[in-house]
Amino acid sequence: MSADIKVDKIMDLKGMPCPMPVVKVSKGIKEVAIGQVIEAHTTDPGALADFPAWARTSGNEILKTDQTGDVIKFYIKRKV
Amino acid sequence: MDIVYYIVLVPMVYVACVIFVVGTVVRLVKLFMTPKHSATLQIFPERRPRWLWALGDAFLLPATRRYKPFFWVVLMLFHLAFLLLIVGHIELIAEIKPFQVIPHEVFLGRGFVGLVLALAVLYFLFRRFVSPTKDLSVPEDYYLLILLFLSVLFGSQMDWARRWYGYDSLSAADYREYLSGLLYLRPHVSIDLTASGHSFMLLLHVFFANLFLLFLPFSQLMHSIFSLPMNKLRRG
Amino acid sequence: MDTKTRDELLKLFQSKLNQTMRLYLETCTRCGICTEACHAYASMGQVRYISAYRHEIVRRIYKRYFKGRGKLWPSVGEAKELSETALDELYEAAYSCTGCRRCMMYCPFGIDTQMLMSIAKLLLVGAHAEPEILTMLADTSIEKGKSLDIFKESFLAGIKRLEAEVVKKWRIEAGKKAIPIDVEGADLLYVALAGAHSIIPAAAVFNAAGEKWTLSFFEAVNFGAFVGDPTRTRLILDRIINEAKRLKVKEVCICECGTAFRTMKQMSGKQPFEVSAITEVHARYLRAGRIKVDKSRFKKKPITYHDPCQIARNAGVIDEPRYILRHLTDDFCEMSPDPRYNWCCGGGGGLVALGEDNLDFRMKSARVKVDQVKATGAEILTTACENCHTQLSNLNDHYKMGVDVQFLSSMVADALVQ
Repeated sequence: MSADIKVDKIMDLKGMPCPMPVVKVSKGIKEVAIGQVIEAHTTDPGALADFPAWARTSGNEILKTDQTGDVIKFYIKRKV
Repeated sequence: MDIVYYIVLVPMVYVACVIFVVGTVVRLVKLFMTPKHSATLQIFPERRPRWLWALGDAFLLPATRRYKPFFWVVLMLFHLAFLLLIVGHIELIAEIKPFQVIPHEVFLGRGFVGLVLALAVLYFLFRRFVSPTKDLSVPEDYYLLILLFLSVLFGSQMDWARRWYGYDSLSAADYREYLSGLLYLRPHVSIDLTASGHSFMLLLHVFFANLFLLFLPFSQLMHSIFSLPMNKLRRG
Repeated sequence: MDTKTRDELLKLFQSKLNQTMRLYLETCTRCGICTEACHAYASMGQVRYISAYRHEIVRRIYKRYFKGRGKLWPSVGEAKELSETALDELYEAAYSCTGCRRCMMYCPFGIDTQMLMSIAKLLLVGAHAEPEILTMLADTSIEKGKSLDIFKESFLAGIKRLEAEVVKKWRIEAGKKAIPIDVEGADLLYVALAGAHSIIPAAAVFNAAGEKWTLSFFEAVNFGAFVGDPTRTRLILDRIINEAKRLKVKEVCICECGTAFRTMKQMSGKQPFEVSAITEVHARYLRAGRIKVDKSRFKKKPITYHDPCQIARNAGVIDEPRYILRHLTDDFCEMSPDPRYNWCCGGGGGLVALGEDNLDFRMKSARVKVDQVKATGAEILTTACENCHTQLSNLNDHYKMGVDVQFLSSMVADALVQ
């Protein structure tokens, strides 16, 4: 977990094939309140393009992206 | 009663034929003026020449033979009998030499063409009363088959009567006189045609055939024309 | 449904009415020959899954609004109003159909159910009643095309992390990139899926064959086609077409994704590049001796191949996978019936992308596929489509089939030899 961001929900999407990570996140974000943050873990490199594009079309915000080892972590704030 | 005979045997036939021809032409023109689908709709693997395979698909129904062999036999018999029936009617208008390659008496098929057709139509109709074909069918599917059955039944009855029961009040020559008169726009309904014991058979046959013709251009019976181009689409 | 909405939906319906569509709408005799063609009907026995039944859901609305007969005498053809209920029926028909076109083989006239379902899907999009996941995914894809610069750097970094994996499978010369991206003048543009499994094996094989290739920034899959929206389908296609033109490649190679391949191959129009499936490219490399594979790699395990409908029956890639498999095994078991009549896996048409929402239906409707695979006695079930792979893996778990589901391209990469 990133020190400066308060995370409300963690989603483990590791090993899931495309397009499941973005599908799961788009559903998962509706389970937190507006203003809350999801931390999503994925191993899918395509997510690096999918998540920012999804955030733009859905109106949510990616606060931060971490790439450590094989795992990519997204911190996504629900805005709508 | 004579007026009813006249209306059914003359003006109604003309109206039916005009609507049949005009309706068919208009429908074809409208359809073939519409833009085509831009991408291919082909099914693979490809077989060449494509038009020959499409012809085979349209007339021999290979998939039906593979999966529904009994239905295929009935379908084939029906369509073959239907074709012979058309030939038979043309021969009732005038003598056509090429059709006599195999010498035969008019009407073609010794009564069996009509019998096969009537039985096939009954089979088509009855299978529509059974699920799952019942669940797919809509009223027009039944109406058309009933119309066709009635038309075939009364038409064939005239043939059967002459062939099988020795009934000879109405001969092929009488029908030829009536039909060629219609064709050359000199309609004449002779007293022989309307006063014989079997005249009502003719009346009903022509009446139902007229209805069938009237409905044909607006129905799925146009598959008779569309089948080939559609099969060509599938073959690419 | 209010008049304005209905009118708008009917305009959308009208936009689909080309000559072919009218032929498909006007010719069906409801003979029922297609009854057993659909895997969903064959597996579940419910009338609503018969192709002709699905057609009628669309056809009844067509008769009501576009045919004189339906206005004058609606009951004769059971012409039907476009209403909320009709939309529910359209949804049920369209999203239980995988668009495999197996029924098209049965139909004496060759009526294409996928085409008719595309009307249903477009009406659902117009009424905002389509599965929103598919639209969301399509919009995400389109957004990627618009804002490439935003994610470019992080994407490049992500891809770079995969290079070590590629080199493990096939060593490359020092100074060469294991996954080249954005290379102008490359011969081949490889359009993968977003997952590493779609990039690493393919990269190893391209490198082994000495191909001058470059990886696309975009994923191949076309969610616009799944959701049946022609505008979105086109925008998603255009991203790749524009990239291919910009890089001046001679060939666009589509990864193992049936819809992506068929859409690109048949809908992209005349372009300055060829479109091929990765299976075709691998077969070509083997034929030319550009790659060699070790047959002993999959020894003692009988292998069968599932033909993805959109790649085989609907796009003609049938001999190539078999050619590849002859190099990978001596124990290949062909499925019966043959590719023309092959059963769909049950996951096409966007159904797999709906994930767990329709898992129950996907499992029940594909029982015939499971029986077909079991009859081969194979231990490895290979295929060349992501959707099929996901669905077959789900079936494998659900029905405890005990097979090893593999991508054909991964098998080629795993068996590469110097």
